[in-house]
Amino acid sequence: MSTETIDLDEFRKEVRAWLAANLKRRRSSAPQAARTETKTPEEIAESRALQRKLFDAGYAGISFPREYGGRGLSAAHERVFREESAAYVMPDFGAAGAVTFSAIARSMLAHASPSFLRRHMPKILSGEEIWCQFYSEPAAGSDLAGIRTRATRDGDRWIINGAKIWSTGAHYADFAMCLARTDWEVPKHRGLTWFAVSTKAEGLTIRPIVQIDGEAGFCQEFLDDVVVSSDEVIGEVNQGWAVAQTMLVYERGAGQVGPVVLEPRTLAPDLVALARKARRTDDSIVRQSIARAHINDYAQYHLGRRIAARLRASDQPQPAVAAYGKLASGTFSPIRARIAVEIGGPEALLWHPGDQRAMRYSINYLNGRMTSIAAGTNEMQRNGIGERVLGLPREPSFDSRRPFSEVIAKARNWDGQVG
Amino acid sequence: MDFDATDDQKVLLEASARFIQQAYPLGRVRERAYRDVACAADYRRQAGELGWFSMLVPEDLGGGNVSGNGVLDAALIGYKRGAMLQPAPFAGTNIVAYALSAAGSQEQREKVLPALMSGQASASWAISPPAGHTMESSVTAEFKGGAYRLSGCKTFVQDVDEFCWLLVAAATDDGVSQFLVPPGTPAVTVAALDSLDISRQFAEVRFEGAQLPPTALVGTAGKASGLLARQCAIAAVLTVAESVGAMDHEFEMTLQYAKDRIAFGRPIGSFQAIKHLLADMSLSLEMSKAIAVAAAKSLGTDDGYGLEAASMAKAFVGEAGVELAQNCFQIFGGIGFTWEHDQHLYLRRLTTDAALFGDPAWHRERLCQLSNL
Ligand SMILES: Cc1cc2nc3c(=O)[nH]c(=O)nc-3n(C[C@H](O)[C@H](O)[C@H](O)COP(=O)(O)OP(=O)(O)OC[C@H]3O[C@@H](n4cnc5c(N)ncnc54)[C@H](O)[C@@H]3O)c2cc1C
Repeated sequence: MSTETIDLDEFRKEVRAWLAANLKRRRSSAPQAARTETKTPEEIAESRALQRKLFDAGYAGISFPREYGGRGLSAAHERVFREESAAYVMPDFGAAGAVTFSAIARSMLAHASPSFLRRHMPKILSGEEIWCQFYSEPAAGSDLAGIRTRATRDGDRWIINGAKIWSTGAHYADFAMCLARTDWEVPKHRGLTWFAVSTKAEGLTIRPIVQIDGEAGFCQEFLDDVVVSSDEVIGEVNQGWAVAQTMLVYERGAGQVGPVVLEPRTLAPDLVALARKARRTDDSIVRQSIARAHINDYAQYHLGRRIAARLRASDQPQPAVAAYGKLASGTFSPIRARIAVEIGGPEALLWHPGDQRAMRYSINYLNGRMTSIAAGTNEMQRNGIGERVLGLPREPSFDSRRPFSEVIAKARNWDGQVG
Repeated sequence: MDFDATDDQKVLLEASARFIQQAYPLGRVRERAYRDVACAADYRRQAGELGWFSMLVPEDLGGGNVSGNGVLDAALIGYKRGAMLQPAPFAGTNIVAYALSAAGSQEQREKVLPALMSGQASASWAISPPAGHTMESSVTAEFKGGAYRLSGCKTFVQDVDEFCWLLVAAATDDGVSQFLVPPGTPAVTVAALDSLDISRQFAEVRFEGAQLPPTALVGTAGKASGLLARQCAIAAVLTVAESVGAMDHEFEMTLQYAKDRIAFGRPIGSFQAIKHLLADMSLSLEMSKAIAVAAAKSLGTDDGYGLEAASMAKAFVGEAGVELAQNCFQIFGGIGFTWEHDQHLYLRRLTTDAALFGDPAWHRERLCQLSNL
């Protein structure tokens, strides 16, 4: 494999010049509501064109291997590009895009076969294939290893039956990374396999679900005899849990806490604006709340830097350490959203029809629990930190040693017996 | 506390930890040995030799730090001190040394400052107002007949004795001024108080018309408010660092207990109620370390956000420390309710740290004011 060597400063210069010549600058954005990340077909088409432009210029998959369409440079180069491009309009595929380029692409790189990677990775990097996650099911979320979608081998293909749910962006994605059970007579972690499923596949029904804020963001799917060829298996058959482990590191943001990339130095501007609107800037309770929110933002930002340093100092992936960032976000986002509603009172709870700016506090309030539930609940992060960072003994396990078929047969009548 | 401590910092910290272990382990804390004047003097001199009181003083005045950021170096020492609940007015003495080096007269710098840095003399900062007063106005200074007459009261003054220098802020007609009050000044009375915290000794200091010559001024009369703000920020950061040290040590003690203590046939740390509490405490501790280091770096490098960062750290860690100590108490169960167990020493210290040099609510309000709200 040929490798390009280019030092970071030189790379930065190159990136800077290319960005200035080829991309549009972003208008500095006013604080926006954390809306459900849904995208119109036009927006997706624009983003695909932009992604293609990056790909053709060598700025898509900067740290991905060249043979799979990447540039073959380091994570540090990738960071340089992120920093420099922050001021420009970049492709935005919503939440499905975020997982495509991180959790999904990275787990594939670590586990998929070379032929699979040659087939899919260049299309991912060029914006031709947007992926989504078929992990959760009506009967299994936190307990991901407890999913019940069934894949049955049929010669050199697999037949998949079951139901998935909460799949963000499935209505506009091209492919899904789908977890299914391939062996029911072994303990739950040992009978799982990952498949690449086309969202156009016959037998697959995708139904958008209206989310708490009234927008469609995630979907429900029914898989009825969906056929997938054997070379679309990601990783080894029945070894799906190993892939899931890799995926979880990236799901937790690999140490990046929240969307904040710069140290917050302005006292919670959204809350100050709201307090002004509510004419409560002299109210000491309001002042205390604003300060509290800003202090939490500041502490979270520095926690993120601390975790990143800790992850860099270790040569092994540490999903449990990354869980600190996830738990911080899951803990403080709901608090912050609630503070806004308390400060604003009617100013945050009522608005004239269509007033996007005024409605954002209520929308943020509703979406405030996104990070405490999606991609692993706070409780799961606490289990991870408790057991894998602090070294506390595990909870006695009722289900991890018996055949999965037996576990589900007995779950409703669990008698309290363990093992 | 800081992942990228330099080699020089590591040497300083190892020497400090060794000194603490030898001179003043937790057993001595319990005996309250520092109340003995000879013990205190000995402790202070050894600490002075390690450079504990020199970090905020520039080299040309005989001070010096090890990393180029004296606030950070002092904070890292503070972290070690906090873990073992050390006595001596560490923040206070450093503040006095800092104020003298920043604004003191030549005489103060030449005669008093070296003695403070070496630990020959002690100094404390009288800043906290009694109930119903503000920091700037609880003591007033009236200029009459060529001398200042100080009246009023300060509380929460740490580890003072009759040989101690005091730095005090007082309201004068033209603004806030600071004075260096020599030991034994007439009409200055020090009343030792009992306190929740038994690792330190606090006192109330009364000024009952105490006469001070203009040479006792630190800096220009009426112009102290800028320096005072910085002193408050540094004292906040050093106190935060000590709190984080105490939190870290107490958390480790508690975590170990959760692994060792058996109930219902298994370690209590396997129960999710305890495990999740510990995970939350661990997050809060990590955030406290992060914000403490961030504030020390910001303040010590004058990056333009230091005063805000210091207040944010004090507010965050003040609450996190008390919360953590309370949770540790709960996890220890009955044994934590005993005098013999160490947890109460930490609970006492952390609760007091939260109130010292501005409590969390005070610092949140200060943040609003610094941010022009
Ligand atoms: C906005 C959003 C977007 C999402 N996007 C996707 C997506 O793209 N693809 C996808 O596959 N999924 C997605 N999800 C699903 C998400 O991953 C799950 O909702 C989440 O993992 C929780 O699973 P659950 O909803 O089944 O809740 P449950 O697992 O049923 O949990 C219910 C409650 O029980 C608690 N609990 C469960 N197990 C334990 C335990 N062992 N110890 C302590 N407490 C426990 C949980 O913490 C929670 O409080 C999304 C969810 C949201 C909200």
